[in-house]
Amino acid sequence: MTSRGTPSRFLKSVLQNGVGRYVCQLKRLSLVFSKVGQSSLGAREYIEEGVVDFARQNPGIVVYVSPQSHTVPKLVAEYLNGAVKEEQIASKTSQEIAQLITKLTGQSGLEVIRIRKPIHTDSPSIQGQWHPFTNRPPALGVLRPGDRQTQ
Amino acid sequence: MAVNTVNGVIRVCMRFTRPAWPLAGSLRTGSCFPAFVRHWSSQDVKLPSSFVPETSLSRPPWSEVSFPDPVEETQRHQDVVQKVNNLLATGQCGRLFAVVHFASRQWKVTNEDLILIENHIDAECGDRIRLEKVLLVGGEDFTLIGRPLLQRDLVRVEATVIEKTESWPKVHMRFWKRHRYQRKRIVVQPQTVLRINTVEVAPGLS
Repeated sequence: MTSRGTPSRFLKSVLQNGVGRYVCQLKRLSLVFSKVGQSSLGAREYIEEGVVDFARQNPGIVVYVSPQSHTVPKLVAEYLNGAVKEEQIASKTSQEIAQLITKLTGQSGLEVIRIRKPIHTDSPSIQGQWHPFTNRPPALGVLRPGDRQTQ
Repeated sequence: MAVNTVNGVIRVCMRFTRPAWPLAGSLRTGSCFPAFVRHWSSQDVKLPSSFVPETSLSRPPWSEVSFPDPVEETQRHQDVVQKVNNLLATGQCGRLFAVVHFASRQWKVTNEDLILIENHIDAECGDRIRLEKVLLVGGEDFTLIGRPLLQRDLVRVEATVIEKTESWPKVHMRFWKRHRYQRKRIVVQPQTVLRINTVEVAPGLS
């Protein structure tokens, strides 16, 4: 199946990330859950076990834990480029939530759509574009249009 | 060289022709075409005995190859290596690029490039990794080609993991017409984005 009709972009990074140093692009993570709901059980477990460790390990990320009554639990991730991403965590275990949070931490906030080429370069050619006369030894003489190579 | 090969061909042909001719002649004289035979023999006398017509197979199809003098060749090699070493030592090589084998494919990279790997790699975001399988390094005026790889102490290509994400949900559809068969599978692969930080060559070329 082709995928030409789908939205696409080229490979890029936010503000030349990684040229000097790497900056984690996730800036804010809020964990919305219910104190009594059955589907928030895993979220409550994760808050007991892992949230504090995660916040300590990642001082650049602000973590909000907000209990709201009678809500579907969700994770809201905000990135440095302004993107906001919501993930549902209803009836997920605490391990699954931890995996989801590590995935959100590693992402850069750019859209998850088809990427047209697996490379991006600002200097596509260093030695100049190839043409049929590159590296032709000068001993072979000058070629003019209409000349035929003699044996 | 070409003359020699032509001579060789001629000699071989003569060796084949000598015993063959009297046999054929005796056969032909036994048959009922004496005039034809006389014609053939007269032709044979006219031509030089070692005549082979020039055909497309008389000489190899490529033009004549002459190998350079080995002493001169080593001298020239030394000169080139010296020149490249000087360029590297004085830092006049300009921007460097490298061809790196990574994630089972070959990437042409320079500084500040981004490459996307369609898989998970065993490094965290922000880690700096070194790509060690370098097949080729080039500057503006020279190129170093490995056989197949360049030594690890000669070239240094480093990259930073800047993103570990997932691909867009790819739809894998299998459909068999007129058989009421269709399967739909949605594939999401892990992806890793690398930023190339350094491509360096040590000037110790020999």
